[in-house]
Amino acid sequence: MEELVPVVCPWCSVGCRLYIVSVNGHPRKIEWDYDHPNTPNRGKLCPKGVASYQFTISPDRLKKPLIKRNGKFEEVSWEEAIRYVAQKFKEIIEENGPEALAFLGSERCSLEDNYVLQKLARALGTNNVEFAGRLCQSSNFVARSKVFGSPAQTNPFDDIVKSKVILVWGYNPAETNPVLFGQYFEKALDNGAKMIVVDPIKTKTAKFADIHLQPYPGTDLAVALAMLNHIIKNELYDKKFVEERTDNFEELAKSVEEYTPEWAEKVSGVPAEMIKRAAELLATGGNATIVLNEGVNQHANGTMTALAIANLIAITGNIGKEGVFSGVIPGAHCGLCAAVPGVNCAQLPGPVPLNEENAKKFSELWGFEVPREPGLHYQAIFKAMAEGKVKGIFIMGQNPARSLANSSLIEEALEKAFVVVSDIFPTETTKFADVILPAASWYEKTGTVITQNRRVMRSFRAIKPPGEAKPDWEILVMLARELGVGEYFNYSSVDDILREINRAIPALKGATPERLNSNLEGCFYPCPDEESETPRLFLKGFPTKTGRAQLTPVKWVQPGEVPDEEYPLWLTNFRQVGHFHTGTMSMRSKSLIKRWPESFLMINPEDAKALGIRDGDRVRVETRRGSLVVRAMVTDRIRKGVVAMPWHWGVNFLTKDDAIDEFSKMPELKAVACRVTKEVVE
Amino acid sequence: MSKKIFIDFKRCIGCRACEVACEMEHGEARIRVFEFPDLTTIPFNCRHCEKAPCLEVCPTGALYRDQDGAVAFDPLKCIGCLMCAVACPFGVPKIDEVNKIMDKCDLCSERRAEGKLPACVSSCPTEALKFGEINEVLWDREGSFVSRLKEARERGEKEPIYLL
Ligand code: SF4
Ligand code: SF4
Ligand code: SF4
Repeated sequence: MEELVPVVCPWCSVGCRLYIVSVNGHPRKIEWDYDHPNTPNRGKLCPKGVASYQFTISPDRLKKPLIKRNGKFEEVSWEEAIRYVAQKFKEIIEENGPEALAFLGSERCSLEDNYVLQKLARALGTNNVEFAGRLCQSSNFVARSKVFGSPAQTNPFDDIVKSKVILVWGYNPAETNPVLFGQYFEKALDNGAKMIVVDPIKTKTAKFADIHLQPYPGTDLAVALAMLNHIIKNELYDKKFVEERTDNFEELAKSVEEYTPEWAEKVSGVPAEMIKRAAELLATGGNATIVLNEGVNQHANGTMTALAIANLIAITGNIGKEGVFSGVIPGAHCGLCAAVPGVNCAQLPGPVPLNEENAKKFSELWGFEVPREPGLHYQAIFKAMAEGKVKGIFIMGQNPARSLANSSLIEEALEKAFVVVSDIFPTETTKFADVILPAASWYEKTGTVITQNRRVMRSFRAIKPPGEAKPDWEILVMLARELGVGEYFNYSSVDDILREINRAIPALKGATPERLNSNLEGCFYPCPDEESETPRLFLKGFPTKTGRAQLTPVKWVQPGEVPDEEYPLWLTNFRQVGHFHTGTMSMRSKSLIKRWPESFLMINPEDAKALGIRDGDRVRVETRRGSLVVRAMVTDRIRKGVVAMPWHWGVNFLTKDDAIDEFSKMPELKAVACRVTKEVVE
Repeated sequence: MSKKIFIDFKRCIGCRACEVACEMEHGEARIRVFEFPDLTTIPFNCRHCEKAPCLEVCPTGALYRDQDGAVAFDPLKCIGCLMCAVACPFGVPKIDEVNKIMDKCDLCSERRAEGKLPACVSSCPTEALKFGEINEVLWDREGSFVSRLKEARERGEKEPIYLL
């Protein structure tokens, strides 16, 4: 029987809606959803969305539970696998206490999956529960929380179209979020908005820019400081807004006194005149949209840059009203599905801080004692594992062996512990697993997502999971029963879980299964009751102590590594429209890998000439940490002195560094010194 | 008037959603996106010409005009003589190497029969691809130009303006 099942795209955080045309649980094709004009994508999809079920039918899928015996994986039944895990976990708890267990949640899994995961950890008595959000948005998270009291995206996407100025910083929406770019940014440009892009690469977004600033990687902080300096010195800021809704303006002004555009020109290579023009346009051009992404986040000075930009947003008054927009647009579609239900070592669902009062509240709600001691954060879990303190870990849809910095330490840690992984494909991490549990992928289960625009939506099961794969929440409930805490996990459907979430998280109280099932367009979180939602934040005040934005002094911090004689070029990385992160899923999609098949190196014609490199030559890219060989693409799109590679093919081992942001713990992932040589074939 | 796909190069971001959508629908992409070093991207598909040379040279009548005006194609009649490929000024018809017959855009006739847009147009995130009659498309443009003129006039009451 052919059915049209409504789903939410599993890739990026725009959260596009589409249908899967499913025949007896097998996907036949996709269909565009033009029936719900208020969804963010209005029917449109990018190539990842169009091809989005291809990876689910890949032959590599995990289909049966596996237990490692004598170094080899053996297929076993679900009962045996779960019994084995439970028995090991019980032993660990008895011998070393519950803190010797850790749980990792995932930004690729649903709200319900993540909620059950953190609840199970807490039912067993540990707060060692984390997810990879720490490595993605943490710089902006820290900065925006400090200045505005909350990191969230402020307005609905529709407000982008109403703005007159668009500032895009370290972000390439035309490739990373094409639907957002086409449906909102381009429409704002149609209406006459002016766009400023800050990026060392002439990206497809920069093609549409009126002003394109091309700083060296990691020196965009200097540009931000100079913009603050110019706007404050020439009194171009929004005086009314600064007076009524911000604190600490004087301290901020003082902190940027020396950072003139002329100084920034020397540091960043961007002409002072252009910085001034950009600053003037931003301050006087009217309502502005200000968006940033990993180009700001993934630097050892990222928090400072993010702080400087948050200050810029505040002093130009582009927040807390209609017609402006600001925020970060992270990669995965479900980051908030892990953050909101408290998949965090020091937060409980809400998210609210783990303190006596909240722990008590949740103990009453759940019926067991919530552990009071904060757990270990992401990297600390692995450190503790390497030291033998954490002895067992349950990893749901994460690949720390590949994605974390310093992979040798991670591998050592995984070797030592009892590792259970539930995932859809074999990964670098499953190699170290003792038990692998086959999970259902996104289209194979019903679940709730919270996209970055704070929209809560339902996605429905459209495809039968392969073999014996199961949704993660079902796996966790089975495990809970076997561990003897089944009475707290009395769920027979995702709706049961969502109803409990409605009770546990006040801001999600109105996102009931009934509302989401009947209203596919969903609602903006916070939604305290079934009738209401919150499309715009901060209209009245900021969730800070004084209710006003906290302007924060900023200072210049060097990027993690700068070129020298030995390694004379800057190396940075970027994303392509057809791939997602490290490609675990997109590289298993035939239409995508066909069009975006391999890595390459962008190099400026002048640099290429000096090195004797021609377009298409094979070149070796070397940093202090390693080297690899790729094809050169000689192009004007990159400025002189900088080279760039797409990061989907594992370039993080080149950029991995000890330089770490002091506030967000973000490693320097986007700016390192390198040298490039032509590879001579013998 | 027949409906066609009109392409606005200025809006295109070269994301290739159109290609992937066409490939998912027909097994092979019949629209192609050409990318140039200066970031110009040009999606290009069959123009469904009013006086279609491909159709005129087809000896077996495998190419025909359907009720909406699209230059459609009957695989059962095709003998793989490649005349259409030579006659087309844009080199649009391609040979399907396995079956030795031609393959070309038919504006998604199955989807149109169900009242849906062609797959590439459905997808295109920037609306660089538009499906409609030429007059509709032109009116749309004219409409937005007129509204911009109006806006300029209103602003012009306060400050000098230049129309380019
Ligand atoms: S823009 Fe993002 S959510 Fe939309 S189709 Fe593309 S990957 Fe999916
Ligand atoms: S889908 Fe649209 S924007 Fe993307 S390449 Fe095709 S025509 Fe261009
Ligand atoms: S195949 Fe070529 S000649 Fe025939 S209708 Fe299309 S563009 Fe015109």
